[in-house]
Amino acid sequence: MSEWEKFLPKPTEDTEPYWDYCRKQELRMQKCKGCGLVRFPPSVICPRCWSLGHEWVKLSGRGKVWSWVIFHQAFYPGYADDVPYNTAIIELEEGPRLHANVIGCRNEEIYIEMPVEVAFEKVDDEVTLPKFRPVLS
Amino acid sequence: MANLKDQYAIVGAGLTKFGKIFDKSPVGFTLEGIKLAVEDAGLSRDDIDGLLVAMPAMMGEEHAWAARIGALLELPLTFSYTMDMGGATPVAMVQTAALAIAAGLCKTVVCAYGHSENPQGAAFAIPNLEFTMPYGDIGATALQAHIARRHMHEFGTRSEQLGQVAVAFRHNACLNPDAQMFSKGPITLADHQQSRWVVEPLRLLDCCVQTCGGGAVVVTSAERAQDLKHPPVLISGMGQSHSAEIIEPWPGKTGHRGGIPAGRMCFEMAGMKPKDMDVIQIYDGFTILVITSLENYGFCPIGEGGPFAEDGKLKVGGALPCCTAGGLLSEGHLMGMGHVVEGVRQLRRQCKERQVKDAEICFVTGYGGAPHTYPVTLCYSTLILRRP
Repeated sequence: MSEWEKFLPKPTEDTEPYWDYCRKQELRMQKCKGCGLVRFPPSVICPRCWSLGHEWVKLSGRGKVWSWVIFHQAFYPGYADDVPYNTAIIELEEGPRLHANVIGCRNEEIYIEMPVEVAFEKVDDEVTLPKFRPVLS
Repeated sequence: MANLKDQYAIVGAGLTKFGKIFDKSPVGFTLEGIKLAVEDAGLSRDDIDGLLVAMPAMMGEEHAWAARIGALLELPLTFSYTMDMGGATPVAMVQTAALAIAAGLCKTVVCAYGHSENPQGAAFAIPNLEFTMPYGDIGATALQAHIARRHMHEFGTRSEQLGQVAVAFRHNACLNPDAQMFSKGPITLADHQQSRWVVEPLRLLDCCVQTCGGGAVVVTSAERAQDLKHPPVLISGMGQSHSAEIIEPWPGKTGHRGGIPAGRMCFEMAGMKPKDMDVIQIYDGFTILVITSLENYGFCPIGEGGPFAEDGKLKVGGALPCCTAGGLLSEGHLMGMGHVVEGVRQLRRQCKERQVKDAEICFVTGYGGAPHTYPVTLCYSTLILRRP
C-alpha cells in the first residue's frame, strides 16, 4: 500500500504558512505581537489577548512527550499496515502542544516526559509532516 | 437561573427499538422517537409548537434539519433549532426547551435524536482535521486514550479501575431487557483485562457499543405538566461549559475545564450537592470519561475517580447507582438521550428490576464536541431532575 492512502492536511487560508514552513523543514508557529504567546493551532487572532498581530517564529524543535497511545486497530484502511502504531502529544519547549508520531524508537520505549526533537518526514512535493524522535543523550 | 428551578418538566420520554438494527434512516429513527415520546406524554401533534433535533453525523450541508423533521410530522412549530454539541446535545436540548418556554416562544417542546450506522444514501464528510488525522490519531477513542494515559501518569489510575466501571454498567444492563448487551450477560474484571486493545491504554470493553436508534423527550411548564399522564419530572438544575483542552480535562489554572462550571452551575441552581443524588446518569462513551466526570462534578476529589469507582458503588444496588440502564457502554450509544430517558424513568419508578428504590433526584450529564479539531473542543451539559 502506498504510504499516502492516509489523510493529508488540507491547509486553510489561516493555516497554510505553518505547512509551507514545514515543507522547508522549519517548525514555525505564530508568536503574538501583543502578549508574546506562542500559539497553536495557527489562527488570525491571539486567543489570550485578541491581538491580530503576529510573527512566525522558528521554534527550537525540542519538547517532551506529554501523552502517547498505541493504535491496535486501523479506523481507516490507509493506516492498516502501520498497526500497531503510536500517536503522541508533544509539549514543545515554547509551550504549545501538538499531535504527532514518535519515530526512531520502538513503541515500548516511549514514555511521558521523554525528550524529543522534531524530524521532518517528506510525504510528497506538497506536504511535509513534522514528527518527533528521541533526543539521544 | 433560580427563577427557572422546578418551573419546567419532562412529561414524555420514548426510545425506539435500538441496537444493530438497520431498517431505518436517521430521519426514520427520529420520527419514531418523537411519536413515542409525545404519546407517552398523552399529548398530540397540535400540542407541540417547539422542536429541537440533534444534528446527525451525516448532516453536512442539509440545513434546517430540525424543521424538516417537524414538516414530516406536520407540527405547528413556532420554535425550532438543530443542535450541535455531539453527545452533550440531548441534555442541552432539554435546557434550551425550558429557556424557550420561559421566554414565551412556545409552550411544549420535543427534543429528539436519531442515528444510524452507515445510513443508506448518506455521504459522510470526513472533516479536514489537519493536525491530527495525518498522524493516524483518529476518533474519540484516541482522545480518551490520551486522557487515560495522562490520568494514569498523574494519579496512578489503573486499567483494572477502568474495568470496574465496565463491569458495573454491564451488571446494570443485564437488568434491562432492552439493552443491547443484555443478551451477552455479565462480564468480569478478567473479561475486561483480556479484551483486546483498541487504542492502548483502552481495551475493547472500555469503549461504548455502536447503536442505531432514536428517541425523544417532551418538555413543558410544570403547571401544564400537572394535567398530563405521568407524574412530572421537574428540571431543578442545569449547566453548561465549553472548553478547549489539549488532553487535560481537570481543573488546570483556570478551573474552566472538564465541565467543572457546568457541574457547579447545575448544583447551585438546584441548591443541592452531589451527595444529595439518589441516582446518576453520567455520559459514558468510555470508562475513563466516567472517572473524570465523577471527579469534575464533585462526587470525589480530582484524581481519586479510580479508587472511587472501584468498589461496585456504581451498580444498581450500590451506594451511587450510575447509568442504571447500562449506559453507552452496555445499554447502547443513544447519544445521551438514553441517559435523559433513563433519568425520567427512574424518577417515575418505571424501571422494574433495575429500579433504584425511592429515587427522587437524578443527575444527568452530556459530553460531546469535536475531539480532533484543534484546539480539542469539548461541550459539557448537566441536569438535575427531581420527582416532586
